[in-house]
Amino acid sequence: MGEFAYSKGLKRRILIVDDEEINREILGNMLQDHYVVSYAENGRQALEMLRDRTVRYSLILLDLLMPVMSGEEFLRLHKEEEQISGIPVIVMTSEKPAEVRSIKMGADDFITKPYDSPEVIKARCERIIQLYEDKSIIRSAEKDALTQLYTREFFYEYVRQADHYDETVYKDAIVLNVDHFHMINEMFGRDMGDEVLKKIANALEQIFGNGLYIGCRPDSDYFYLYVDHHESYEGVFNELSEELAKYSHMPKIRIRAGVYLNADKSISVDGRFDHAKLACDRIRGDYTRQVNFYSKELNDADLFHEKLIHGIDDAIANGEFIVYFQPKYGIAEETPVLCSAEALIRWKHPEYGMISPGEFIPLFENNGLIQKLDHFVWRRSAEQIREWKEKFGVTVPVSVNVSRVDIYDPELENRLGAIVEENGLTAADLMLEITESAYADDAKSLTEVVDHLRERGFKIEMDDFGTGYSSLNMLTTIKIDVLKIDMSFIRNMNRDEKSRRLVELIMDIARFMNVPAVAEGVEDETQLKMLKDMGCQIIQGYYFSKPVPPEEFERFISGK
Amino acid sequence: MITIDGLRAFGAGVDEGLARCMNNEAFYVRLVEKVLKDKGFDELDAAVAAHDTDAAFEAAHKLKGVLANLALTPICEPVTQMVELLRSRTDTDYSQYMNRIKEKKAQLEGML
Repeated sequence: MGEFAYSKGLKRRILIVDDEEINREILGNMLQDHYVVSYAENGRQALEMLRDRTVRYSLILLDLLMPVMSGEEFLRLHKEEEQISGIPVIVMTSEKPAEVRSIKMGADDFITKPYDSPEVIKARCERIIQLYEDKSIIRSAEKDALTQLYTREFFYEYVRQADHYDETVYKDAIVLNVDHFHMINEMFGRDMGDEVLKKIANALEQIFGNGLYIGCRPDSDYFYLYVDHHESYEGVFNELSEELAKYSHMPKIRIRAGVYLNADKSISVDGRFDHAKLACDRIRGDYTRQVNFYSKELNDADLFHEKLIHGIDDAIANGEFIVYFQPKYGIAEETPVLCSAEALIRWKHPEYGMISPGEFIPLFENNGLIQKLDHFVWRRSAEQIREWKEKFGVTVPVSVNVSRVDIYDPELENRLGAIVEENGLTAADLMLEITESAYADDAKSLTEVVDHLRERGFKIEMDDFGTGYSSLNMLTTIKIDVLKIDMSFIRNMNRDEKSRRLVELIMDIARFMNVPAVAEGVEDETQLKMLKDMGCQIIQGYYFSKPVPPEEFERFISGK
Repeated sequence: MITIDGLRAFGAGVDEGLARCMNNEAFYVRLVEKVLKDKGFDELDAAVAAHDTDAAFEAAHKLKGVLANLALTPICEPVTQMVELLRSRTDTDYSQYMNRIKEKKAQLEGML
């Protein structure tokens, strides 16, 4: 750094503090070619000049015996003021005992009076400045300037050292993250964001500071901690939340923690913190949990998910995804009549066998890959409707899922239109299921998209009705064609009065809206009868059939 | 007018003093002229007359620093001797030192 500045012709500023004008002049004359020189007549004047943040001093040359404020008094105050304590001080003295005393008081070096040759003095100044600049570079890389926690590389190194000296002590690796931190920055400004991070670092120091504790802020809103093993973390993170809640001017924040208990020291340090981070990231958006503990199962699940995510394109290309169909029966008449089907995807994985949709659908919904699956199911379903139409001469409309991410696809209408057209179908043959949670996300977009799709002739089914948050409000703004009652209500209907009443209520709503209600998850005759009595027109569930491959489904069509 | 030769004849450590002044003769001479007007001489004189050894030590110490830097040995010597005596607050007759100081100072002032 020193060399860098010299090579760029940058001049550092030296403050000469001496009450004797002649001494100031002699020194100034020696140093002026290499430095910008400022002068003060006593300690007090020097302090005032140093407090001026617009001027940056690299070195102070200090006389000890001065009126108003002596050099020794100055040294004491210099040490206390954070802003100027980082500026090195060389004391100028003719007294031997004062040399030792001033070094003890925090001076970095001394120059004897009468002065040595200018070369010696210049060399001493240069050496001290360089020493400080190098030290501050090291310090700035070692500590995060904002929180004073270690930076990643230094943190890892200190963890390794702690392991070395503290071999037998069990340790926990902890990763903390602030939920929606970018929103704090966006809504309250970067200063507030910085303050939140600082307060978290302080609170962590307060909570963990007693034992061996190494803290790090590797980036943005993540915190890494290496602490003595805790039997329980119950309370620890509550304490953290309470500590932060004390700052009433700060927005309420939620911190998630991932903990790798008794971290295996044979694993690399970053590997250990990867484990803790995995546990931390896994509960992102889960407001019921503040702490998650790393486990082998969690790691296996993560690896499994990674494989699924990376395998999706090949799986589509290799035909590993199979669309199953579950029949829906109209029960208005004495004999149930097949009226449509719902397309449900299955994954026959070459390594894992049949993977439950409950395993991969939420995963793909989270990362947007669900769109690829949706497109595949739409196309496959349309082809199937056409095949059956050609083979049996009847049209079995199929319900397909339209995920939230599809709603934001500007090509949605055209995409669906093209699929229908290519297979010689009408729009009504492909029934589109949307969930009410999509409405909660962005009511305006969903309403517009639904309106456009209906104008083109598509039928919209509201899926999982009754499980979301905005059901009733939604019904006033969005036009739908079918209401699907969530299977959880149907399943509990037999034994739970409330569920039965809810189903009745949803049936009333459907009647009020003048749309048919479809009951999902119907498993037995009692449920069927209850639903029929309530006026439900369409039934789907194991009572008639589980979802089956298209070949098997054909027996329902031929039976029709 | 004070000259380098004059200072040399006076007994000053001119080479040493000049070196501290980056061998700038005019600068060195200007500082020598300046020190002659230093009020420290009067302060020392007054403190000695008043038998105020603390003030005398302080004034002598300051003068010593400047005179030594300028290598004005003939004046610096008695000042240094005074500093050492005053440091231990020695009760002695300081006027002999003061007289030598004044004498040498006057000699330099005579060159002005």
